[in-house]
Amino acid sequence: MNAFDAIVIGAGTNGLTCAALLAQQGMAVVVVEAHEQIGGLARAHEFHPGYRSAGVLHDTTVVRPWVVDQLSLVHHGLQLRPTKPDVLALGAPGESLLLAGDRLRTAGEIAKVSERDADAFLEYRAYLDRLRPVLSQFFDRQPLDLIDTGMGDLWAMFRQGLSLRKLGKKGALELARLMPMCVGDWLDEWFETDLLKAALALPAVAGTFTGPRSPGTNANLLLHEAAAGTGGVVAGAPALVRALEKSARANGTSIRNGIEVKRLLTDGGCVEGVELVDGEELRAPLVVSSADPKTTLLELLPAGTLPRSTEEALVSWRTRGTTGIVLLALDRKPVFTCAPDKNIAYAQTGGHILDIERAFDAVKYRQVAAKPVLEIEVPTVERPNLAPEGHAVVAVRVHFVPHTHDSGWSEQQRSTLGDQVVAELGQHLENLADTIVAREVMTPADLETSYGTTGGHIHHGEHALDQLLVRPAPGCQRYTTPLEGLFLCGAGSHPGGGLTCAPGGLAATAIART
Amino acid sequence: MVPRFFTAMPIPTPFHTRTQALCTSMFWKDWAGYYAVRSFDTCHEREYYAVRHAVGLFDVSPLFKYDVRGEGAMALLSRVMTRDISKLRPGRVTYCCWCDDDGKVMDDGTVSNLGDDHYRVTAAEPTYGWLCRNARGLPVEITETTDDIGSLALQGPTSRALLSEIVADTKKPIEKLRFFRLLKATIAGHPVIISRTGYTGDLGYEVWVSREHALDVWDQIYAAGRRHGLVPAGLDALDVTRIEAGFIMNGVDYQSAHHCLIESRKCSPFELGLGWTVDLDRPGFNGQAALRRELANGSTWATVGLELDWDEYEAHFTEFGLPPHVSSSAWRTSIPLYAPRRGGRVNGRQIGYATSGAWSPLLKKNLAIATIEPKFQVPGTRIRIEVTVEHERRSVAATVRETPFFNPPRKRA
Amino acid sequence: MVAINPFNPAHPDYPGRPDKPSRSSYDAIVIGGGHNGLVAAAYLARAGRSVLVLEKRPVLGGAAVSEEVFPGFTFSVCSYVVSLFRPHIVRELELAKHGFELIPLECSFTPQPDGDALVRWADSARTRQEISRFSRKDAEIYPEFGLAMSKLSQFAKAIIDNPAPDPNAIRPREIAKLLRLGKIMQDFDGDTRHLNLKLMTSSAVDFLDQWFESEVLKSPMSVSGIIGTFLGVRSPGTAYVLLHHYMGEIDGAYRAWGFARGGTGGVSLACARSARSFGAEILTCAGVSQVNLGPDGRACGVVLENGDVINARTVVSAVDPRRTFFGLVGKQNLDDEFATQISRYKLRGSSGKVNLALDRFPDFTARPGDGPHVRGDIAIAPSIDYLERAYDQAKYGDFSERPYLNVVIPSLSDPSVAPPGKHVMSIFVQYAPYEIKEGPEFWPQRREAFGDAVIDTLSEYCPGLKDSILHRQVITPWDLEQEYGLGEGNIFHGELSVEQLLFLRPAAGWANYKTPVPGLWMCASGTHPGGGVMGAPGELAAKTLLRSGEL
Repeated sequence: MNAFDAIVIGAGTNGLTCAALLAQQGMAVVVVEAHEQIGGLARAHEFHPGYRSAGVLHDTTVVRPWVVDQLSLVHHGLQLRPTKPDVLALGAPGESLLLAGDRLRTAGEIAKVSERDADAFLEYRAYLDRLRPVLSQFFDRQPLDLIDTGMGDLWAMFRQGLSLRKLGKKGALELARLMPMCVGDWLDEWFETDLLKAALALPAVAGTFTGPRSPGTNANLLLHEAAAGTGGVVAGAPALVRALEKSARANGTSIRNGIEVKRLLTDGGCVEGVELVDGEELRAPLVVSSADPKTTLLELLPAGTLPRSTEEALVSWRTRGTTGIVLLALDRKPVFTCAPDKNIAYAQTGGHILDIERAFDAVKYRQVAAKPVLEIEVPTVERPNLAPEGHAVVAVRVHFVPHTHDSGWSEQQRSTLGDQVVAELGQHLENLADTIVAREVMTPADLETSYGTTGGHIHHGEHALDQLLVRPAPGCQRYTTPLEGLFLCGAGSHPGGGLTCAPGGLAATAIART
Repeated sequence: MVPRFFTAMPIPTPFHTRTQALCTSMFWKDWAGYYAVRSFDTCHEREYYAVRHAVGLFDVSPLFKYDVRGEGAMALLSRVMTRDISKLRPGRVTYCCWCDDDGKVMDDGTVSNLGDDHYRVTAAEPTYGWLCRNARGLPVEITETTDDIGSLALQGPTSRALLSEIVADTKKPIEKLRFFRLLKATIAGHPVIISRTGYTGDLGYEVWVSREHALDVWDQIYAAGRRHGLVPAGLDALDVTRIEAGFIMNGVDYQSAHHCLIESRKCSPFELGLGWTVDLDRPGFNGQAALRRELANGSTWATVGLELDWDEYEAHFTEFGLPPHVSSSAWRTSIPLYAPRRGGRVNGRQIGYATSGAWSPLLKKNLAIATIEPKFQVPGTRIRIEVTVEHERRSVAATVRETPFFNPPRKRA
Repeated sequence: MVAINPFNPAHPDYPGRPDKPSRSSYDAIVIGGGHNGLVAAAYLARAGRSVLVLEKRPVLGGAAVSEEVFPGFTFSVCSYVVSLFRPHIVRELELAKHGFELIPLECSFTPQPDGDALVRWADSARTRQEISRFSRKDAEIYPEFGLAMSKLSQFAKAIIDNPAPDPNAIRPREIAKLLRLGKIMQDFDGDTRHLNLKLMTSSAVDFLDQWFESEVLKSPMSVSGIIGTFLGVRSPGTAYVLLHHYMGEIDGAYRAWGFARGGTGGVSLACARSARSFGAEILTCAGVSQVNLGPDGRACGVVLENGDVINARTVVSAVDPRRTFFGLVGKQNLDDEFATQISRYKLRGSSGKVNLALDRFPDFTARPGDGPHVRGDIAIAPSIDYLERAYDQAKYGDFSERPYLNVVIPSLSDPSVAPPGKHVMSIFVQYAPYEIKEGPEFWPQRREAFGDAVIDTLSEYCPGLKDSILHRQVITPWDLEQEYGLGEGNIFHGELSVEQLLFLRPAAGWANYKTPVPGLWMCASGTHPGGGVMGAPGELAAKTLLRSGEL
């Protein structure tokens, strides 16, 4: 006798989305989360007494509107910003460029440096607007199966590509040219201002094992731009998690946190439930895992259960995490030297495409570059309650940091990384060093331990063309697995990582169909 | 030891100094990178008759050997092999094949359970990589022992008597060693493993000995063999005997799925007549789903034994004023098979191909092993096979026969 | 009396002459006497057209040239091995009759810094044994990898032997082409399809990582993905070039890689002789300064550097696209959109050459002696990090201090190129970016430093090298541009990166050898299927032109 119809492993945004949607269809769903707190990579965490971070993932502009609608997230307290938040791009000390949520304002900012680029920027945005309806389908539709159904699906893709006809015959060819390019070359075609190019390029390579001179990174840029369709969630990722949780509970989902799954229970090619670390067994005809594919299929399943070719494809699934996190607790609000009067919530460094490239170079040799590139978030701007009154939290995503350090990650190496980040950040923040109360440094290896993602990869698997088109492996592309009753719904499935909620949402649809 | 630079191919087996001295014909071949004798005399006939009437001594060291040890060894082999290795008890040997994910045969060989989670696999092709690729997450240690272990096959009716004279330190007498069992023993004071297996379809044994003791073991067997009619034998004699025994051969009668450029060249265990080695109903193993499907939907090919019609064969030669000619060696070229038409005298459409064959001096029959459409596989079915007589392509009738063609009671006794 | 080297233009049988054209008008003028120009000319002449080939230099061959640089030493100055030269061109143009002869490369030798080495032989059993010294698993997977690649190369072969498919076209011919590719894909099993997808998108290293564990094997294998490109072995999109190594096998002749007898110029001269046998005229020392456009905007001939005007019904350019359109046609004669496309076309030369005349054979520490192991190519590619570091340096505008080297010693297999007992050594060097920090025009000042870096690198594996050098010739990307006419020194007339291949080479909508200038065609490596001494662009261009009815 099963108490539940479905067990969802992991209460990250995708797990919660999937659970809520399944519950909405009348299933009795239980979500099991290893951590004491839910939210996965989006969960807030207290890294120093009184100071809390706002999650590893931060970009809520990519959340899919249809998930918001279907789960009535607004009803459950979600507030969407009208426009994207401003991002301050930092170049050499004293040099900066404000990329405002509003494009006209941005163009105005750019015009101070280059009139030509200001015009080009508006044209660039308009071009991306034309691409968005075509490319955003990638995030909102069931994945094509390029491997098993073969030509039929290829043709479907081709037809979908023909929706490119909206772009005209030349537009389609142009897209074929753009996708395999490196983001550096493409931005060179548009702009002359180094800081602007670097600022636009960073999201294309952040979290990947590629630099802005690596071919194919332009596809990441286009997809990222296509996904970012909303202004984002007020109060960021934790607020999204709260709304998802409420929606899930409202639909009758039970969420059990602090319990870890030890292994999946199988019987002759069928998954029948999970065994927890404490020995308890939960049984249900459906098990849906939002853990990364390697964890789910290679760790939680007994060895030898998967068909060999699937197993081999998963073994070569690339999950080299390259993002480190440095959290700083400050005893006052941070002041950006180049914008002392502004309350900056988001900023990033990397004044030149080649600065980002250099930061990437090091990770190939399992090292951290002399000058890593930083994505800076000051979550206390929007949520002062994350820190004591008048204090602040600065969360820095550091690119690029190797999962395996050439000489092993020691406490000293970790601390060197922290110092590097503080030094780099200190060039842009007034009196930074004096205001630090506490700091926490997390390497990809630490992320792997704390969040359970293989390789510490924040997207559960690299965003490279081959891993986006077949995600994660033949036979597991449509949220199904070779085992009956076992489904995937995490970022390791189509359409990939980030706070889109799309894998969870599309998985729920796929499961409902079977 | 493999020399560091310019490793020459082929390389000598552990018994090379002995076989080299005896191989007056200088008739060698490259077997998996090793020197192997095709026949010691210029003609292999004497060696063939020794196997059937006394005992032949073959150096089969080039056979690939892998030792699989550890708690996960049984699980690994059960996953790889078509047989359920969990049922293979210590001291037993089994013959089986292994498939890729699509249920197509990659190779065939034996698995021996040496006890204490220690198994030995023999294969016709390099298999180390394949075993490793199936071992993820399993506590096993896989080592290739091809070069470290010499193997001798003693095949023929007097092999038992010979061995019983020289084998010592066994738990039970060699006479009690049953078909497809093995035991540990010593020969010339050196530890050996003796299995009652072989590739000749006769009473026979295989002796496994580490490289450093190989020559001593050879010498003792060879010396004792004088009283039992022992003749060192080569691959040509082995080839004739294996056809009489109806054994298929990788690379000759089928192609490993790993080497096939096109799907249609691959074949399943059922198509090879190895369906009896497939244990379908058990936890997952490589190719299980595909094999289930094939069993339900039927196979495309079948492997059968053929006996050529002698009178018709002879008549073709008579027409040219020639006596009938048969080659003393086995052949291994692809020869077309046809459905009979008009009373069986004329070729219809092509229905398959013979892959190897030989004249059996013992049975006085012209034999072949063939791949054929399943509807022609019933023993007794008459088909037609192409023969070339005096540069002309002709055909003769052939009858599908049960294999083994030659199956003496002593083989299992 | 010393016999004149057959590659010397003064030789009485040399197929090109610094003459005046015999007529004032031709059916077709081919600009550039490189191997593709000559192949195109031969096909056009074979179809009965009057053809004139104009080569700027006194010698024919373009970058596929043999020159007696130092007395007695004949160098394949630029291109040094012949890969993938299409066998049907050899048959159709009867090149063997005209002196085309390939000496197969026997192996690929990769000395290691620790004194060990890996040799991959043409004999697969030997290769397996070699690899198993580093990894038994890799040794077993190696042939399986070869088989998988052979399967995939059917796809690639269908691509290089045909004009690029145009995904936008609704012409039956184009659709048939796409369907044919689709059919090949369809016949693949699921695993092969997945592999194909990975091959087309991932980096050489990521692709090889799925198969092999030994870096000694992976490093030299991965470099075939980057030769001539400005990319690293970890750059996505470099995997598919690995296929080229397996394409010969389909023709039944694995050893399709080889030296041309007498050097790579031998290929060009055979093409030239074939073209002449069909009636083509070949002039050397005849640089073209401009493509003449008629009042209707149609290309109607050329103006030579000496001012002579020659008329033609069509002009076929075998020089790179940038130079064809910006140098010979002129930006003012192009529409803006096309001009933008061409200005975005990336050339970015990334390699150089060092050619040495050697007094004696220098021993490699890893395997001394001039045995069969050095009769193939010798790769200095000790690790993936090494290759990536070499690339990283180039990204920021330096030549690699420790570059990837591909060395051949053709005199070991072809004694005709050096005096008895002496040798010629050809060293292909990557990376040497055209755009060095100081600016490309400063290459002449850096040339010797570049040469020293190469010799120092190689000396680490071959300590006697320095003492055995009689002469050395260093060719930088700047030299490749200035002397051999390769734009930005790119040996392939443009990067072989995915966005510049197939229907995008050299520009979207203009991948079928035709150009927006009526009467002007392109026939060299800047068009589909791209660079290398394979002759395919020349052949396909000529056949497309003949079919178009324009001629």
